[in-house]
Amino acid sequence: MTNLEGRTALVTGGSRGIGCAIVHALARAGARVAFVYQSNVEAAERLVSELAREQLTVTAHQADVRNKDAADEIVRALVESWERLDILVNNAGIIRDSLLATMSPEQWRDVLDTNLSSVFNFCQAVTRPMMSARYGRIVNMSSVAAEFGNKGQANYAASKGGVEGFTRCLAKELASRGITVNAVAPGFIDTDMTAAVRNAAEAEIKKAIPVRRLGRPEDVAQAVLFLAGEGASYITGQILKVDGGLTLGGF
Amino acid sequence: MPTAEEIFTKVRETLVDALGVDDDEVTPEATLVGDLGAESIDFLDIVFRLEKNFSIKIPRGELFPESLAADQTLVKDGVVTPQGIAELRSRMPHADVDKFAKNPKVENIQELFTVQMIVNFLQNKLAGGSA
Repeated sequence: MTNLEGRTALVTGGSRGIGCAIVHALARAGARVAFVYQSNVEAAERLVSELAREQLTVTAHQADVRNKDAADEIVRALVESWERLDILVNNAGIIRDSLLATMSPEQWRDVLDTNLSSVFNFCQAVTRPMMSARYGRIVNMSSVAAEFGNKGQANYAASKGGVEGFTRCLAKELASRGITVNAVAPGFIDTDMTAAVRNAAEAEIKKAIPVRRLGRPEDVAQAVLFLAGEGASYITGQILKVDGGLTLGGF
Repeated sequence: MPTAEEIFTKVRETLVDALGVDDDEVTPEATLVGDLGAESIDFLDIVFRLEKNFSIKIPRGELFPESLAADQTLVKDGVVTPQGIAELRSRMPHADVDKFAKNPKVENIQELFTVQMIVNFLQNKLAGGSA
């Protein structure tokens, strides 16, 4: 069991879905956690008070992850108050599905900026404090769509493919400083974001998954927790699929 | 204004921390790459630590300039051109460019990066110069 006592963590897109499960997992493992959320104040407050009932203190920060200055400011303030930032989880992500022929430039840009530029923004912000501390755990959220593609998700798959390439580069750049950089690639996880697809084709999807169920946000959070722990110090630049075997192929 | 000796001592501590080398390896003539084993990320780390230890800001490219190699007028066939040498002198008044100019192969540029070069840079900087 990963123990994060004394560690500090920042999670983007933390108020709902997979991000919410990650905040839970890191806080319950003993880390002091801050999360960034875009707009859903109610969900963010609910998460903070839920964990408060378990005597766990997490803080919520409303910000647009596409905004570099906002990322710098959040990280600066956290490092100032915590004196260290050990763990960064770049989880914020959206889908704006459309066949390419009808995809608007806004749909393309929104997804690339939110899913990929945000990773640049926050990783760059934490590089300096993590390098000074000679310690860091960065976990980025990819998707099996990066490798396998889905109709209507050219923007999303491109952003996640970008996250994977970014992850490998940064892993090499920071390895000598005790900082690991990995990604988790979920398959079909039951969240608000995937509700539309699930409602349309849940039975079909389950048939394609060897484990015979959709993933839960907690399944992904456990993989993130592992990569965020001290014990994962020899794992870097890796993409860990959490997909119930969905992408194994064969029969 | 600290003395050159005080600056050197602090630079030595900085390099010992950043590069994990021993005190006695950090001589004024030691080159960061050849003698002290620095890699690209280390240059960034050294700048961060100097900024902190000396309470100064070091703009990107000021202590360790960006590579000249992309510009054909500055580097040709693996050799730094006279124009490139002039460029180095203006970008790096803190480095011993005269020594480099005797054998201006592009791979020798890293020999400009010595401990003494950092001390010179800081001396100028702390004296209020643009370094």
